[in-house]
Amino acid sequence: MRESNAVGYLDDKHEEIEALCAKYPSRRSALLPVLWMVQNKLGWVPQDAMKEVGDIIGVTAAEVYEVVSFYTMFQQKPTGKYHLGVCHTLACAICGAFEAIDYIKEKAGINHGRISDDGRFSIEELECIGACAEAPAMLVGETLHGNLTPASIDKILASCK
Amino acid sequence: MTVSTLPDLPALAEFERVFLPNIEEDKTETLEEYLKVGGYEAVKIALAKKPEEITEIIKDSGLRGRGGAGFPTGMKWSFLPKGAHPRYLTINADESEPGTCKDRPLMEQRPHTLIEGIICSCIAIESEKAFIYIRGEYYKSAKVMQDAVDEAYAAGILGDNVMGSGKRVDVVVHRGAGAYICGEETALLTSLEGYRGYPKLKPPFPAIKGLYDKPTIINNVETIVSVGWILKKGADWFKKFTHERSTGQRLLCVSGHVKKPGVYELPMTLTLREIIYDVCGGMRNDHDLKFIIPGGSSVPWVLPEHLDATWSMEGLAAVGSSLGSAGMMVMDHTVCPVWALANLSAFYRHESCGQCTPCREGSAWLQKIVMRIERGEGEEGDLETLRAIAGTGPNTGMICGKSICALGDAAAWPVSSALNCFWDDFEEHIKTKGCKYKNKRYWMQDDRFVNETYEHKPSWGHH
Ligand SMILES: Cc1cc2nc3c(=O)[nH]c(=O)nc-3n(C[C@H](O)[C@H](O)[C@H](O)COP(=O)(O)O)c2cc1C
Ligand code: SF4
Repeated sequence: MRESNAVGYLDDKHEEIEALCAKYPSRRSALLPVLWMVQNKLGWVPQDAMKEVGDIIGVTAAEVYEVVSFYTMFQQKPTGKYHLGVCHTLACAICGAFEAIDYIKEKAGINHGRISDDGRFSIEELECIGACAEAPAMLVGETLHGNLTPASIDKILASCK
Repeated sequence: MTVSTLPDLPALAEFERVFLPNIEEDKTETLEEYLKVGGYEAVKIALAKKPEEITEIIKDSGLRGRGGAGFPTGMKWSFLPKGAHPRYLTINADESEPGTCKDRPLMEQRPHTLIEGIICSCIAIESEKAFIYIRGEYYKSAKVMQDAVDEAYAAGILGDNVMGSGKRVDVVVHRGAGAYICGEETALLTSLEGYRGYPKLKPPFPAIKGLYDKPTIINNVETIVSVGWILKKGADWFKKFTHERSTGQRLLCVSGHVKKPGVYELPMTLTLREIIYDVCGGMRNDHDLKFIIPGGSSVPWVLPEHLDATWSMEGLAAVGSSLGSAGMMVMDHTVCPVWALANLSAFYRHESCGQCTPCREGSAWLQKIVMRIERGEGEEGDLETLRAIAGTGPNTGMICGKSICALGDAAAWPVSSALNCFWDDFEEHIKTKGCKYKNKRYWMQDDRFVNETYEHKPSWGHH
């Protein structure tokens, strides 16, 4: 049963979502892709969006929350304008990932918690991001940057306006 | 991502690279470009054959899965129950095993070789629908694959009339959202169905009851790409470079302290010594080699005394390790083995899906104990406790063989292997309540890395 939803984050997406659902033998398979749509739009997945997504897919908000809370990439809190995901698993760790993380935090002005004082950056340490041969590495939003050095980090951060 | 060139080794004189030759950095091969170099010829070959004939060729080639377990691909395909339809092909592009970074360049630089392999495999297993499950962090791979799939549909290569044959093959690109466990095949399927990525107990195997309860084949990206090349060039070409039962080329990912880390396409006939010192240019700063993790973080560690082992499934098994996913991490003498193990134990604790008590609790205890030893707070008896939890091999200890999927075993193996290789280092940490590895700056508290002595003089990034 689809109820009218109060939030409407996805009001402009219904056609796209129906096309997406049609690709799968089961509507529920579209849950992750639809959650990605929310996160792409808002930068995170708020609880009222989980209700809206549930209504669209045909599951309860609790079932959506169960899924959101399992996958580490779905953000349950707002992030900075640029979200930095720095790898800290072994291949990067032995190539200076932790030194890189400290350097990034200092340069991005992230002094407490995970968001910079000006809201421009947020940071998260990630498990292996598949860039082992170009360690240390980080994701800035959707873009991967490998072989990080102090100079390359300065350049990357400066390009985040 | 650069794909690394190979040195002129006599052992490689006749070796032909096909996966990623002459591909410039960060460039995606378009459909037009691929068609000019014989792209989709394999599909024509497959369309002219009966499905069983294709499976026979794959069996004959000796191709074994490139995702980690090394299961013979042709044999897996023949487990599908006859006459049961629909059936699905699922491509495992979750690539999350630490040290592994080969499927990403394959997808980002030559996406059409994967689509070609998918169509050939679908013809062989009589499936009309394939899903590519790509880990969430691979934004670019997903975008490149989706664009390539769209290109292939527009050109009549995918869809309800594959290259004019009347056969149907549809491909759906699906993104994960950050969970190592979704690389495990049954977890991948539950995730694809829109649930938490929880593995399921086998049997039933996915070939009998998989995606949406239908017969399903799951193969790694590189496995499926290899299928296309084998059809194009023949099983004998694939078997030209063979060590025991390891046939064909593989993409090797080398990371860590070598001069030239990278992704290399190699036959499984070289020794570890040739790979580290010839292919990868030796150790950085000519440091001493301390240990190698040869097949992704889950496999047992290898010491320098085994450098003459062949880099193949059998060669590494002979020295107590495994080729796994071909993600090789190389550590020089500055790396504290206790610290390295703590890092991996933290990974497994974080990635345990939590369904089974032995894995969930066991991985947490392993991490806690290794970390306290690392911090200089280890207690007498800790090593014995680690042994009791991690065991000494298959079905020993408190985790191995006692959980639903192999992640539990994967959490235990590095611990028992590290104790075998570096027992003295562990003992010394406990006795001296400290660590002699001076270059190491990081100490860990519970699951957080805490920096205690970092001075603002980065010693990294000067290659
Ligand atoms: C914890 C765990 C993680 C895994 N991760 C991956 C992965 O990221 N990619 C992959 O291809 N196989 C992975 N596998 C292996 C798959 O379960 C499966 O064996 C493989 O995808 C089969 O394909 P293949 O026969 O072509 O290798 C993983 C297995 C386990 C137990
Ligand atoms: S072994 Fe670990 S990861 Fe696998 S199902 Fe059990 S708890 Fe989950």
